[in-house]
Amino acid sequence: MIFLAPWALAIAGLSALGLVALHLVARQRPAVFLLPTTRFVPDQRTLVSRVAARPRDLLLLALRVLVVLAAGAAFAQPVLMPAHGGMARVVLIDRSRDASSADEAFERLRGILGQAVPTSIIVFDSIPSAILPTSLDSAMRAPRSGAVGSLSAALVAARRAGATLAEHADSLQLILVSPLARRELDSATMRIRDEWPGAIRVSRSALRVDSSFAWRLEHELAMEDPLGPSVAAMRPARGEQVTRLIRRAPVATDSAFVRHGGTVVRWDSSSATGAAPEGLVAGGDVVVAVLGRRAIASGTARARWADGTPAATERRIGAGCLREVGVAMPVAGDLALHARFQRIVRELLRPCGTLPVDTPADSGVILRLVGASTNAAPAAAMRQEKERSSTLARWLLVLAMVFGLAELAVRARHEGAVT
Amino acid sequence: MSAGPYGALLDAVRGVRWPAARRVTGATLGAHPSQLRGNSSEFSEFRPYRQGDDPRRVDWRLLARSDRAYVRLTTDRATLRTTMIVDASASMAFPEPGLDKWRLARELTVGLASVAHSEADPVGLTIAGRQPLVLAPRARRSVILEMIRALDQTTPAGTSELEPLVTRARATRMVIITDLLGDAAAMLSAIRLRIAARVEVIVVHIVAEQEMEPPPGTLLAVDPERTTTRRILDGPMRAAYHASFTGWMHETSASLTAAGARYVRALTSEPASHAVRRIADGSARRGA
Repeated sequence: MIFLAPWALAIAGLSALGLVALHLVARQRPAVFLLPTTRFVPDQRTLVSRVAARPRDLLLLALRVLVVLAAGAAFAQPVLMPAHGGMARVVLIDRSRDASSADEAFERLRGILGQAVPTSIIVFDSIPSAILPTSLDSAMRAPRSGAVGSLSAALVAARRAGATLAEHADSLQLILVSPLARRELDSATMRIRDEWPGAIRVSRSALRVDSSFAWRLEHELAMEDPLGPSVAAMRPARGEQVTRLIRRAPVATDSAFVRHGGTVVRWDSSSATGAAPEGLVAGGDVVVAVLGRRAIASGTARARWADGTPAATERRIGAGCLREVGVAMPVAGDLALHARFQRIVRELLRPCGTLPVDTPADSGVILRLVGASTNAAPAAAMRQEKERSSTLARWLLVLAMVFGLAELAVRARHEGAVT
Repeated sequence: MSAGPYGALLDAVRGVRWPAARRVTGATLGAHPSQLRGNSSEFSEFRPYRQGDDPRRVDWRLLARSDRAYVRLTTDRATLRTTMIVDASASMAFPEPGLDKWRLARELTVGLASVAHSEADPVGLTIAGRQPLVLAPRARRSVILEMIRALDQTTPAGTSELEPLVTRARATRMVIITDLLGDAAAMLSAIRLRIAARVEVIVVHIVAEQEMEPPPGTLLAVDPERTTTRRILDGPMRAAYHASFTGWMHETSASLTAAGARYVRALTSEPASHAVRRIADGSARRGA
């Protein structure tokens, strides 16, 4: 049995000692004498102070001490604990699209799961799901998710799993196997992390490197093309995959290029009428600028305006794809120099069938994830609130009330004997 | 029913005379001198004849000897309607377990009633308890036994008000046996009115020895009628208590005496027969 608020028990103990002292030192009532002429005794006091060698009214004292101790024990919130098994472990495995190969995570887990420690394994991408250790092999061999991972959802799932494991453990260890890509964290992640009352052991896996990342861009932009600064900011790379940026209508060679697996991005240079402040969303970035809309063919949306209308679509043609961008750039302004817009441009020029690759989170963020403490989380702090409230406290309160009533009865009888 | 434990007392007070303190006004022939002068055989004095006197009362032999007309006066005697008002409040149940105050009150009641009854006076009883009990004054032989039965069936308890009983009592002589710890002030007012109506009032103040001298040691004194009144009675308080109690008794005695009542203090240590004789003798001296 443990006490969730042991200070209440300490206060009750001190109060009980005080009661004993009061019964020792208390002002005691002398023997009662029924005297009809009491009114002629000067009215001064009815109690006499003196120190007794042993406490008077032992029954009353015992009942009062029991009331105080029972109430104190109730307020100390005693919890009857089952036998605990030392440490338990929650393992979060990142299987999002930013995670590296399953083999690496699997090898890391083997070393962890080899120890005989109760473990709860949670595989997460955007949605966490608990798996049994025995089904770890099949889970790791399953196709990797294409969803962006959510560390917040994973930490919430870990908190829940920890509350369950805490019933049979003294402490809990949380192990996070993840590349910790920047986009896996959101504004709630750190608040949710603070709900875990201990350190998080972070085992960083490699950030996924997409082989299609190395692609080339062919373009014939003029010097004064407003897209020029954004395209120039892209790292020059070499690769087999090629994206051709055209600022005109596609011609036969472009069609042939697409059919043989290339990607043609048609981003017309003609200015659109009715430019207005617009919000453009592509990948994980949003930019608000004075932009014009241009009609594009239907297809799979790759970028959208703020109202949900597709701003860029792509169609599969043969082995490649043709992408149309309906965003009219302003001739004047520094929009092309903005990093966010440059990332949107890069997203729109990426070859078809490739996934964007994120950057790892900052080291400061990772340090906050790990936490200031190096200790595992205490299981007592992980238990669910409903399990904290023990019926024992209620019974102790009832017992205190019973003792209180008994004390009243004894005192009333005592007073009756006096009168 | 016999007199029971009162037998010795009744024997001790047999022959005691309890004359009225002043001439009585009753018409029934009794033992007390009456204010009326009439045709009884007990000669008192001669008085010169005045116009309007009954000619039949002229002493013809004296007229023949002295050649002057004298009227022969005689003294009438009448009964004295007597009632005993006994305080049966909780304060009279003291000290436990003997209840000496209540015992003395009962014995004084029976003793005085017996003395009055022996002079053919009608005697009555009023017990001022929780439920007042009134036995109207009677001269019949069984009245003393009825009074004994009523007193023995009474247990002093609670509080009682003597003032309304004093006001309503139908008697020419009234004996109030009380410890004066109840409605003494109101009772004094009622006594004044009764004395003004030519009622002889005797207040017998019952005082217990332990009230005069409480047991030694430190005590928590509790008033049995008002249990909220609790006082510590220890060394320093005793002297103050004694002075206050004695002063109150003197003050009460003076007030009653000034009102025209007769105040008699009876300690529980005094035999009841002695107290009865004291009360009767005192009345005799006042009457003389």
